[in-house]
Amino acid sequence: MNSKAYRLVILSLFVSMALILSYVESLIPVPLPIPGAKIGLPNIITLVSLLTLGWPLTLLVVIARVLLAGFMFGGGFSIIYSLAGGLLSLFVMTVILHFSRNDFSLIIISIFGAIAHNLGQVIVASIVVQTSNLMLYFLFLMLLAIPTGFFVGITARELMRLLKKTTIFNRLNN
Amino acid sequence: MKKKEIIVIAILLIISLGGIALFYIINATDQALSVRVTSNGEVVAVLPLSEDYTETFKAADGGYNTLVISDGKAKITDADCRDKICVKTYPISSPGETIVCLPHKLVVEVITGES
Repeated sequence: MNSKAYRLVILSLFVSMALILSYVESLIPVPLPIPGAKIGLPNIITLVSLLTLGWPLTLLVVIARVLLAGFMFGGGFSIIYSLAGGLLSLFVMTVILHFSRNDFSLIIISIFGAIAHNLGQVIVASIVVQTSNLMLYFLFLMLLAIPTGFFVGITARELMRLLKKTTIFNRLNN
Repeated sequence: MKKKEIIVIAILLIISLGGIALFYIINATDQALSVRVTSNGEVVAVLPLSEDYTETFKAADGGYNTLVISDGKAKITDADCRDKICVKTYPISSPGETIVCLPHKLVVEVITGES
């Protein structure tokens, strides 16, 4: 199998795993009266993908996951918000990973990704309902993003540690 | 974890907690409070928060949201949107707090002043 086909297989695996995590997440009720509060489990895959495939292919993973999850078990309307959040989150994580990989671990990158996800969603929501009054709402989401981002970051770090012991990604880089 | 990272997390916690605290302090008032309902960018109703009241608002797309004001708190008790996020939102009672129904483009917010 050549490396291009191999990359496609890994890419498809990431999309399906992220999709499963989206589904699992939709089954877990968040016991908080804050709308839109989520754990962000699919971000585990986004982080792993970012580290192994790089951002251009991860962009595909995020878009595919958001669209598929939106059509399958989200409200049709939620796709725009998830997309805005997912893309801003990916952008922020890519920038941090690129410029300060040595300063910050996956945990910090994950927390900033989670906050960026909320920011993207709140910005689009503000535009849709034409109100600028969602600042308080964003602050609540940001507070919540710190522990959830922490959890996701640790999970991604441990997953990477285990995956590095295997030879799965050895054939990607040639 | 490095020390630098703990500092970053602490700063983020302070920003969010401080921001929430600041928000409530700035908006704290002794004046009468009202509930403003905005649909699709237009104000459709301003109601006093002190009086118990129930009204169902029709959205442009034919959907509805039922607003209930009781005990100085405003809440959406029913809606026909798919995600029901507005129904799950906590009851609002402080100035600046909002309930948003994205599919119906409806915003319910607590404002300062008589209606």
